[in-house]
Amino acid sequence: MTTDPALQIQNLTISYGEKEVVHDVSMKFPANQITALIGASGSGKSTVLRSLNRMNDDLATVDGQILFEGLNINQPDVNVYQVRQRIGMVFQQPTPFPLSIYENVIYGLRLAGEKDKRVLDQRVEESLKQAALWDEVKDQLKESAFALSGGQQQRLCIARTLAVRPEIILMDEPTSALDPLSTSQIEATMVDLKKDFTMIIVTHNMQQASRSADWTAYLDQGRLVEFDRTAQIFMNPQQQQTADYLSGKFG
Amino acid sequence: MKPEKVDRLATYLILAGASLVGIIVLLLLGYLLVTGLPHVSWHFLTSSSESFRSGGGIRDQLFNSLYLVVLTLLVSVPLALIAAIYLSEYAPTNRWTELLRLAIEVLSSLPSVVVGLFGYLVFVLQWGFDFSLLAGAFALTILNLPLLTRSIEDALHQVPALQRRAGLGLGMSKWRVTTKIVLPQALSGIITGAILSAGRIFGEAAALIYTAGQSAPAIDYQNWNPFSPTSFLNPMRPAETLAVHIWKVNSEGLVPDARAVSNGSVVVLIITILLFNLLARLLGNLIQRRLAK
Repeated sequence: MTTDPALQIQNLTISYGEKEVVHDVSMKFPANQITALIGASGSGKSTVLRSLNRMNDDLATVDGQILFEGLNINQPDVNVYQVRQRIGMVFQQPTPFPLSIYENVIYGLRLAGEKDKRVLDQRVEESLKQAALWDEVKDQLKESAFALSGGQQQRLCIARTLAVRPEIILMDEPTSALDPLSTSQIEATMVDLKKDFTMIIVTHNMQQASRSADWTAYLDQGRLVEFDRTAQIFMNPQQQQTADYLSGKFG
Repeated sequence: MKPEKVDRLATYLILAGASLVGIIVLLLLGYLLVTGLPHVSWHFLTSSSESFRSGGGIRDQLFNSLYLVVLTLLVSVPLALIAAIYLSEYAPTNRWTELLRLAIEVLSSLPSVVVGLFGYLVFVLQWGFDFSLLAGAFALTILNLPLLTRSIEDALHQVPALQRRAGLGLGMSKWRVTTKIVLPQALSGIITGAILSAGRIFGEAAALIYTAGQSAPAIDYQNWNPFSPTSFLNPMRPAETLAVHIWKVNSEGLVPDARAVSNGSVVVLIITILLFNLLARLLGNLIQRRLAK
């Protein structure tokens, strides 16, 4: 690994009730890079992703270590709310709140108690610019977020996540509900965001992984089959299983 | 038979069934309006009832009914809200939760007479409330809780799960997600549910006969001290409601114009309940629209 990991998982085993769905996965997610998790439905990739900021707390039992800045955050006494502010999340479908664009972006900041209008204004502009949405919405910040298109809503949700200033952004199939044009805009946004953030993304779309991710991990039935630089995985996979999966899909 | 024919036949059958229900409701409503409306006048609405002479009104009964609805909602909405939040947001899926839901369903099928007698034994005698608005409000709360809890729970369920996860993903606690994201979006449904339940309890009689009582002592509408026995706001006074009045006038009424009083009261009762329903819709839509803006 050439760069320092921003996040590292060690011997992660996840079960829903009695059923173990992720078996002993260990990975290092390099900082300021995009890592894609690919695999068939039921491979456990989304389960792994959601465990990284403890979104699975109520649903699953997660064993193993999740190391973030030297601390194992998979411990009961770690403040999950702070963890989720530092490790943000974008979901499969756009999830704007029924508020104005402006209020959506600063939602997390307001909850944290920030009241200074200048700080809020500045953060809105900065976050929307980072999410490549500023130019499209700067004249309608007070209007409802529901007036935006699906792709714009998803970029708004990215901006909302960015406004809390996390270190890491988890994306759970962020473009699965979007059309190709919006998808390519989001992908371009992701690549821009690399310089400031570490991103981990789950995707069903292998072209998306090959286009935008620096690193790709292939999971199958809860096991990590192969994890390497994206080019390596796609051009020259070391495992037969990976090669079969990629060729099967690309046919 | 050909599929198109079957389809047409089914459509006619469904239409006939639906029309039958609609016609029955309209006929009933029409009959009640025709027989009762002539007796409804300003005098009828604003004078107190008579025991032996004709010409009595329903001022106190109407006020008692409305006041009782307010009192009941004050008790039952917070309770139902807490129960619904627990069931919708916090309850784990296990036996205990299932048992709780079952208990609520059983509660909703209790006959109101039974609830009334239970209220008589517990609130009126045991707790020493005597025949009072408060005892009536507690009895109506027992009747109202199951359906209100269910309708609030439904309103909470209408809020998409992704909204909750988005809130959690921003580092909000579950309680904050519930109060800041879920409740505001469910507000219109909650208010609609509460007002519709107000319509139901407005028409209730059996549960009140032995709790709020059947007498309407003279009350003073100028007396704003709720602790004074003659104040219209005193929740500890016995209070005959409109629905109980209808029952009483029909069963043991001594006034010569009992029939007319009863018919007029029914019309007022029905129109008020219709207004509740209308209000529920209007308010619900209004909040929904404000939220979407």
